[in-house]
Amino acid sequence: MTFARGVGQFYPVESPLHALDPRAKVVATALFVVGLFFVDSAAGFLAAGAVTAALVAASRVPLGAFLGLLRPVLFIVALTFVFQVLFLREGPTLLAWGFIEVHEEGLRLGLVLAARILILVTAAGLLTATTAPVALADGMEDLLSPLKRLRFPAHEVAMMMTIALRFIPTLGEEAEKISRAQAARGADFEGGGLLKRARALVPLLIPLTVGAFRRADELAEAMESRGYRGGVGRVRYRELRFRARDAAALLLTALAVGVAALL
Amino acid sequence: MRIELQGVRHVYAPGTSFAVEALKGVSLSVEPGEVLGVIGGTGSGKSTLVQHLNLLLVPTAGRVLVDGKDALSLDRSELRRRVGLVFQSPEQALFAPTVEEDVAFAPQRLGLGEEEVRERVGETLELLGAGHLAARSPFALSGGEKRRVAIAGVLAMGPEVLVLDEPTAGLDPHARSDLIYLVGRLKASGMTVVFVSHDLDEVAEVADGVCVLEGGEVRSIGHPAEVFYGDPSMAPATVRVAAALGVSRPSLGTPVRYGETLAALRRVLGAAP
Amino acid sequence: MADPTSISCEHLTFSYPGAAELALSDVSLKIPPGQYVGVVGPNGGGKSTLVRLLNGLLTADSGRVQVAGLDPATEPFEVRRLVGVLFQNPDNGLVAPFVEDDVAFGLENLGVERAEMRERVREAIASVGLAGYERREPHTLSGGEKQRVALAGLLAVRPEVLLLDEPTAMLDAAGREEVLSRVRDLAGSRTVLHVTHHLQELFDADRVLVLNGGRLAADTTPLELFSDAELLRENRLVLPTVPKLAADLGLPFCRTPEELAAAVARRSRDGVQAR
Repeated sequence: MTFARGVGQFYPVESPLHALDPRAKVVATALFVVGLFFVDSAAGFLAAGAVTAALVAASRVPLGAFLGLLRPVLFIVALTFVFQVLFLREGPTLLAWGFIEVHEEGLRLGLVLAARILILVTAAGLLTATTAPVALADGMEDLLSPLKRLRFPAHEVAMMMTIALRFIPTLGEEAEKISRAQAARGADFEGGGLLKRARALVPLLIPLTVGAFRRADELAEAMESRGYRGGVGRVRYRELRFRARDAAALLLTALAVGVAALL
Repeated sequence: MRIELQGVRHVYAPGTSFAVEALKGVSLSVEPGEVLGVIGGTGSGKSTLVQHLNLLLVPTAGRVLVDGKDALSLDRSELRRRVGLVFQSPEQALFAPTVEEDVAFAPQRLGLGEEEVRERVGETLELLGAGHLAARSPFALSGGEKRRVAIAGVLAMGPEVLVLDEPTAGLDPHARSDLIYLVGRLKASGMTVVFVSHDLDEVAEVADGVCVLEGGEVRSIGHPAEVFYGDPSMAPATVRVAAALGVSRPSLGTPVRYGETLAALRRVLGAAP
Repeated sequence: MADPTSISCEHLTFSYPGAAELALSDVSLKIPPGQYVGVVGPNGGGKSTLVRLLNGLLTADSGRVQVAGLDPATEPFEVRRLVGVLFQNPDNGLVAPFVEDDVAFGLENLGVERAEMRERVREAIASVGLAGYERREPHTLSGGEKQRVALAGLLAVRPEVLLLDEPTAMLDAAGREEVLSRVRDLAGSRTVLHVTHHLQELFDADRVLVLNGGRLAADTTPLELFSDAELLRENRLVLPTVPKLAADLGLPFCRTPEELAAAVARRSRDGVQAR
């Protein structure tokens, strides 16, 4: 029950973003992320931020889901920002207090990096929140399939993704169950130094691993008995259709990224 | 040790859109030396309930009293030692290379000396009829053996109350009756047992008191005969036979356990010729 | 060529690598189409091994297996098209993160055309009473629901034979009844081999096989098995409460508490009249 809906998981509502072809969304997200590295002006970030905010609104995914996604990242953002501000000593000095000196270039780069991380994480969150895991895996398989000629196992990678997405909540529940069972036997996962804590995890990790192998065995048996034999001769249940709106979405993303990078 | 729940409510993920009220004000008491059978299906709240008995979960509202004192005021780890909680499919938490080492985990956490740990492990395994398994790997045992070893892992803490959540789930009928027999032995040794199960026949065999849980509320509670004969739709097969035979036969009485029922039915048959 | 036999085993013998004892030893049996056959016996008796030999997950050391006229060892994919297996733990049998995708899994593997696949998935989900669950995630379902999703995944493929390997062992009473009532609906239209530890699940079976120590210890009817105390004891089988009370009272087999109560009432009244 505590694993009701984890951060960054698919959010099943209807929206224009949900309706897009997963391939378009994967490529658009990739474009956006790469493009973000060329953005370095305040106006550019404002533009990219505004586009992201508009997309978040259009996705009909509750804002809380994104805030939940950003919360664990905030520490990294803060650390990066502080690091840049304190240690990059280029450009005019804005503030000097004892051994602390803040320079213009440090502040600028700190802000750039912080904005970049926040927008990047939100964009990635948009992709996973608006794309059903199976569709995402199917899209990845299609995008990677040209690599099949180079013996890249595109189908297998997609199947692994699907199975991972299916079993993450199950294993999460199991981990919680085992840790409660061990806590009832007096296990303490919190106190003590690093070594002691690592050792305290043994009674959790061994059963979890044993359980995962057992599950893998049974799953393989079930898959085989349901006629699975790799990607050969398989027809996918979900049909991916690349429509005009997907092309439009891609084009708009490219444009937005280009403009933001030029600003 | 007497545990009392007073109007215990529990809400998971309170204040979010995923909030679920698993317990809606449950009051009951676990009397020393008795076997309390808690009956409930999926979603009845029984697994949430048992975790309140040793405060692995803290009530959202209401109180848990241990011998009349608020459990929140007691030392948490001491409480968890005194109330041993065996979760459903406890064998999933076995981890040590040998049965002996696995059962020794809890007593070692208590800081007992090596000699005392070994003694306690030996005694506990013996009590559960698993002494011969001590040197084996817990992963190589049968389903019923694994289950007993896992229960030993909790019993080795020396609890006063043992809580068993669906202890027979997934076992074959023989391992099941072994376990029911085991509960009888634990009771005879002075242990208080809370036996949680959806299987009415099973609860009927072991329980001195019964609590039927439904949708997070207590539907009925009391002596097994009262509870079961009060509502034969929620009664074990033995009670349903006796109830169907009618109240017009005073010699039948209100048998609950298999042995009692068989004897009562024999009296009915034997009274005739 | 229409084969009147759905499942046939001749002198089937199998041992797991490194095991000292045979998991199955010289098992021969024939099951006609549409028969509902229970398989019981102690753990390690060979029940699960038999299931795995019947759909080619294992290959016999010696002897012959035929399912719907095909040999699972040489044509496993053809056989799996005709044979569905429902395993014990539904948690580990579901592949996809959504119900409908999982039900489609077998059809995807068979390369069924997409429009038909949609139709069959919809039908199969409805036939196990889960319409509206298409977009649910397996980990949010109860055990009984998960097992019904797994059953829908098998039914979508339209198998001729269903192998049920202790499908209710991990379920509570309600979940057990959910699954069993679906199984009862299917019996008759398909050959069903139902492995279980719970004899009460086999009241409706046409036939019961008892496997013990890898051998076919008995091939009988439920009624005969339930009234043969010797056979039950030898194979560590436990009668459910009601038939057990009936047997201990020396009464004929009774299924429900009401039946037993009536039988006791009748017998005691007979006694009264005789006097």
